[in-house]
Amino acid sequence: MGSGALLAAPALGQGLVDLALPGGPSSRPTSSSFPEKGEMILQRARPPLLETPMEVFDQGVFTPNDRFFVRWHWADIPTSIDVQRYRIAVRGHVNRSLAISLAELLRMPRVELAAVNQCSGNSRGLFQPRVAGAQWRHGAMGNAKWVGVRLRHVLDLAGVKPGAIAVRFGALDQPVVPTGPDFTKSISLDHARDGEVMIAFEMNGEQMPLLNGFPVRLIVPGWYSTYWVKMLNDIEVLDRPDDGYWMAKAYKIPDTPHANVAPGTKDFPSVPINRMVPRSWITGWADGQTFSYAPELPVGGIAMGGDAGVAKVEISGDLGRTWHEASLGPDEGRYSFRRFDMTLRVPHAGSYTLLSRCTNTNGVTQPMTPNWNPGGFMRGCVEAARVRLT
Amino acid sequence: MKRSFLDPSPGTLAFGGLVFTSLVLVAIGPPSARKPWAIENASSPASAPSQVAGPDITLVSVSVDLPDDTVPFPDGPHAAVINANCTSCHSATMALSQPRLSRDQWKAIVEKMRATYKAPVPASAVPEILDYLTAMSGKLPVNGSPTAASADRSGGTG
Repeated sequence: MGSGALLAAPALGQGLVDLALPGGPSSRPTSSSFPEKGEMILQRARPPLLETPMEVFDQGVFTPNDRFFVRWHWADIPTSIDVQRYRIAVRGHVNRSLAISLAELLRMPRVELAAVNQCSGNSRGLFQPRVAGAQWRHGAMGNAKWVGVRLRHVLDLAGVKPGAIAVRFGALDQPVVPTGPDFTKSISLDHARDGEVMIAFEMNGEQMPLLNGFPVRLIVPGWYSTYWVKMLNDIEVLDRPDDGYWMAKAYKIPDTPHANVAPGTKDFPSVPINRMVPRSWITGWADGQTFSYAPELPVGGIAMGGDAGVAKVEISGDLGRTWHEASLGPDEGRYSFRRFDMTLRVPHAGSYTLLSRCTNTNGVTQPMTPNWNPGGFMRGCVEAARVRLT
Repeated sequence: MKRSFLDPSPGTLAFGGLVFTSLVLVAIGPPSARKPWAIENASSPASAPSQVAGPDITLVSVSVDLPDDTVPFPDGPHAAVINANCTSCHSATMALSQPRLSRDQWKAIVEKMRATYKAPVPASAVPEILDYLTAMSGKLPVNGSPTAASADRSGGTG
């Protein structure tokens, strides 16, 4: 094999991108071969890991459905969904078990919310020292307007019994190896009943692509995507902690600020990954891109507050010594991406490093120093965008 | 807003090489039995897709084909072993895209596949799989490689 190169499949790979991951391999094919999807960065075909190219985020704060990232754990994914036969089971520690049809779901009271869906391991490929796992750059995220039914409403229809503490979510995908751990996730009952967690059937005004969870997926605003169970068909109310693999063993972060431990740390108290942190990206150019020199350089991008809104975004051109506040675009809601823009006066041609830094409405600011943990989770540091003006 | 505060800084971007191949995928495991409720929910495509309508939205049944890739583990010592054992659950690209990992780190991953994800990989095949993966990692530069021990309290994925 070529040094540092990822092999491209002629049938699937139509182009190549360089993700500039330290130490490599960095090259990935791009592909438009997946159903209901446009050009995506092909991280893995089976089960699919499709990353959104960074330029998509420069085109608007809402990520088009056909460019929205895709991540599945098991390859046994239903390829046909009959909306008339689909049922969502509500069971467990409830007064009445339910099997809700989509026709029933569409008649229930609705809620609409813009929210960023971001993989726990987004940007993992930039961890140093590098860690194993899906080697994403920044494109394992997307923002959409979700329409659906509050989970609380459905739980109330079933009648949660006293003593319930958590709700577990299952889906139609299943292990390729029958004895492997089926993918399920859970959240606390209080969280499930907060009025924001939603069973969504509409994404950016349309039914969602099958690979994004058609016909319904869970929306957990402000929390990482691992909880946003796709093809949701099983809601189980628990009267005991969820000791299943995907909660008890996988997706665990150090119980430390920024989920940070010293590289190589072998043992630390851990908790399930949960709330997202503020992030921001300059999206006007690919890192390291070259342009003809002009005295004014537009610097814009997107920011997210994580589990809160975006309060401000600042830009630095001197590696963080001084910061200057950018103007913010329309507020689409606290869990949405938010556009930021600024025009810089550039004294002369040369290479420049621009930094963006988001502070959320809880007063949390992106740190300059990257976090590290062995899972490659929860990157949230200030990111650099280099540009060369000639 | 206009500002003038930029400091020039050196910046280069390295681009890796690329290789194309057209070899075929070797082994794909048999489909497992469906969950009971999956039989209820999934169906074979009908002539006209069925629909469910509600206020301001109609959901239409969907049937798709998911593409697979045809990239096996490239030729090398024990390529046949790793292709036979490590492509039933996932594309070879999952391993091919990993950073430089030590033999112990690869061992932790292979053992996780066997013990946790129940991959039907015989213990007798593990040393040859590790030989292959370690040699593959050896072709990557040392710079940027992990120094962490194989122990991982995070459980991974994501």
